[in-house]
Amino acid sequence: MGVEKAARVLRGIRDSLEDEEPAAVATVGVMAGALLASLVGFLLVSSLTIVPFGIFVVTAGYGWLRHQELTAKTLALAMTVSTILILLLITAFIFREAVPVIEYETATVFGVAVPGLRLFIQPEWEAVTPPVRYSMVPMIHGTVLVTLIATAVAAPLGIAAALFISEIAPAPVREAVKPGVEILAGIPSIVYGFIGFTILSPWASDQFQILGQGTYLFVGIVVGLMALPTVVSVAEDALASVPESMKSGSLAMGTTDWQTMTSITLPAAFSGVSAAVLLGVGRAIGETMAATVMLRGVPRLTDPLYNAFYGQETLTSLIARNYGEAEGLQMSALFVAGVILFITVLFLSIGSQYIEARMRSKLGGEQ
Amino acid sequence: MAAETDTRNRNPLVRDDASGTGLVAAGAVGLSALLFVVSLAVLFQAVDLTDAVAGVPVVTLLGGGLVVLGAATVAFGVGSRLGFVETEPQASAGMLAGVVFAATWVVVAGLVASQTLGLGTAGWLVASLAVGGGVFALSVGTREDVGSTVPAGALAAMAGLVFLAGIIGPEWVWDLGFEQKASFTGGFTVPTVTLFCSLVAGWASAKAYGGFGARGRHTGAYTLVYLNAGSIVGVLFLLLAFTVFKGISGLVNGFAVGLGAGPESTIVLLGQSISWEWPFYLPFVMNGVGLTNDFNGVLPAIVGTVWLVVGAVLFAVPLGVGAAVFLTEYAERGRFTQAVEVATNGLWSTPSIVFGLFGFAFLIPRFGNGKSLLSGMLTLGFMLLPLVVITSREAMLSVPDEYRDASAALGVTKWQTIRSVVLPAALPGVVTGIILGVGRIAGETAPILLTMAGGVFVPGSQTPDVIGGFAFTSTPPFVENPVLLDAASALPYQLYALITAGVGASGNVANPDEFKWATALVLLVVVLSFYAIGIAARYYFRRELNQ
Repeated sequence: MGVEKAARVLRGIRDSLEDEEPAAVATVGVMAGALLASLVGFLLVSSLTIVPFGIFVVTAGYGWLRHQELTAKTLALAMTVSTILILLLITAFIFREAVPVIEYETATVFGVAVPGLRLFIQPEWEAVTPPVRYSMVPMIHGTVLVTLIATAVAAPLGIAAALFISEIAPAPVREAVKPGVEILAGIPSIVYGFIGFTILSPWASDQFQILGQGTYLFVGIVVGLMALPTVVSVAEDALASVPESMKSGSLAMGTTDWQTMTSITLPAAFSGVSAAVLLGVGRAIGETMAATVMLRGVPRLTDPLYNAFYGQETLTSLIARNYGEAEGLQMSALFVAGVILFITVLFLSIGSQYIEARMRSKLGGEQ
Repeated sequence: MAAETDTRNRNPLVRDDASGTGLVAAGAVGLSALLFVVSLAVLFQAVDLTDAVAGVPVVTLLGGGLVVLGAATVAFGVGSRLGFVETEPQASAGMLAGVVFAATWVVVAGLVASQTLGLGTAGWLVASLAVGGGVFALSVGTREDVGSTVPAGALAAMAGLVFLAGIIGPEWVWDLGFEQKASFTGGFTVPTVTLFCSLVAGWASAKAYGGFGARGRHTGAYTLVYLNAGSIVGVLFLLLAFTVFKGISGLVNGFAVGLGAGPESTIVLLGQSISWEWPFYLPFVMNGVGLTNDFNGVLPAIVGTVWLVVGAVLFAVPLGVGAAVFLTEYAERGRFTQAVEVATNGLWSTPSIVFGLFGFAFLIPRFGNGKSLLSGMLTLGFMLLPLVVITSREAMLSVPDEYRDASAALGVTKWQTIRSVVLPAALPGVVTGIILGVGRIAGETAPILLTMAGGVFVPGSQTPDVIGGFAFTSTPPFVENPVLLDAASALPYQLYALITAGVGASGNVANPDEFKWATALVLLVVVLSFYAIGIAARYYFRRELNQ
């Protein structure tokens, strides 16, 4: 499919080039070639990368002055391709770095060696004393607990706030609450973490008579607060996209506003609202700094498993805490954590986009 | 819109209809609000459970309040059922109320059976399911006025009696018996239970105040939704106010105003050097950390953050806007644009620490094999890019097609149309999106953790001077800038380093705690001013458009 697509794009480019002056096409060709060469040079870590890049800049400048139309279009295309390229590069590089530990942690099941399996079937993380073992189980457990708590906070409160902003609040109140939610998203995560670390963690240790500091419970609540604005803004968009005529039709039957919301607006926007929750879950999974400063940093399971009063380590905080002294296999293990995060969140993102697209076509929007 | 005015006109009518008995329900709503606030105060330790108000300990007040609240709620419901109060109840309280009440009572009955009565697993399971089923039948099977008040009122009254009898008091501790020790203490349980009961009973009595039925549910739901919105805004204010309160003393340390009070700054521009003296002196943002400093500050981190943002914007904005131009103006909707859309949305939700890992694996080996300002800039640029693409696309899509047609009718080329019609019209949206995106990346710690780093207490001599760092060399890559390739600090990273450095590391800073909070405050001010500018710009442009 990829080859087919590339062929179609190439054909499209050739068709559009046929009407252009040969000089312009030549300029653009040199420009594209130089750009490609500098990309290759950059990937190969060559100090000569600057040469093709210089050629690119010069030809682009010349083309801009003499053949602006085609140059602009080519540059715009190159920029578009670069966004896909970055995603591909991220995938390629974090996977490549993760390979050594996946090979190291090969486990045999029924006589078949499965690379990386031992990362997921035993909970021991022992990076120093032999036998050296890396395991993602404690961190996955931590991430799941934190995400569950965060979702329990962010989903209901976020949907209620989105209803408030989109349907209930009188205009002046809305104008005050909406930027407020945006600013809540703007507070840097390290500031949340700092307040959590200095105020919430000691308080929780005191209240629940916990040994030491750091609980998944409060990390989850703080992360939920941070995921809240994402849920609110996406859910609000979904609610606002329900056609006014549907709501008016219901109100004309003599229902109360609340009845209209629960029986018309929310069901119609249901898929958009669930996409909002999915995106919020994605935010919660990826939240790093608050978790890093509030957790204990000891990669082990809590005992019992549902004991959320103790906070050990999440996938994100594992990376942030250990990148400094990690080398070789341990660094590679951090990349495995990154790969898990990346794939999970990418799936959540694609899932929510799919849901949103379906909702748009159902409600008969612009597309 | 029509709906809102509608409600506002109707609400007074309802209130006129309500007789004196409506006061009971209104009073119950007020009492739950009061209990809610008091239990929050207890939870945040502004008030202690054993403190006495008018000679009565707070825990007794909470218990008494809950009993009164529960009694009033039940009384109103039963009164309505017996016809003393005029309401319009429906046949049943509905599934939602039934599930909420039943779930609550399952937990209560389960805890009482297993912990207080000491029944075994089978015993407490049976007891809790029996009670839960009973409550569910009561709330769903009876008329709404009974079904939605009695379970809630009984819960509040029972909790109140438990507190009054001293079964759960300030000294109460319930050890959960976990391997990793954890317990519920009275100091946490009493206010939390009160909080929950006041919410449930407040919801029930708000429904009662609205006279049950559709109108009553409307009132009950609106009460909770307003409370939720209020709490979110309240939390925001609390966070901001708290940070300002803790950080302001460190920030204004040694503040002085007056001619010649501040340090001298020099800018070299085209061989001309311009220098001036600041008319005020705010040492925390004008100094680094040093032995000889009268007051220490975070200037290197501030300058580092500024350069980071500048670098990220220079990288991401042309790239993102160009991509948006291609997607909206040149490309036809198809697989390619769809792939780009999925990629940009995927990039947008990728966790920031993954960008950090990517920068670590991809950029660092290519820029001098060490953490550097340049790697940090590009990593943040990668993060900013999808946001620029998404917002620029939205802005360009909202430019009406008539503009493009009118321009094309003049016989100009497509690119001229884009340059002189589409881009200017989309500019406000693009600029607003960029400013908000910059606010987001300026506060990011995780990506620069792995790519840029910096120190805990950074001396003033490490303030990056990017413009002065450029130099030409005879070997490729011909241009070098050691400043870009050096590790630098930034505000969010410095705050992280300060937190994790622990108590021992104090550098030359006299009061590390004050220093941390002041750093947090400066970071907050820097980031939120981007947001404030972005939001203000949006309002300004929207007003301009509407005129």
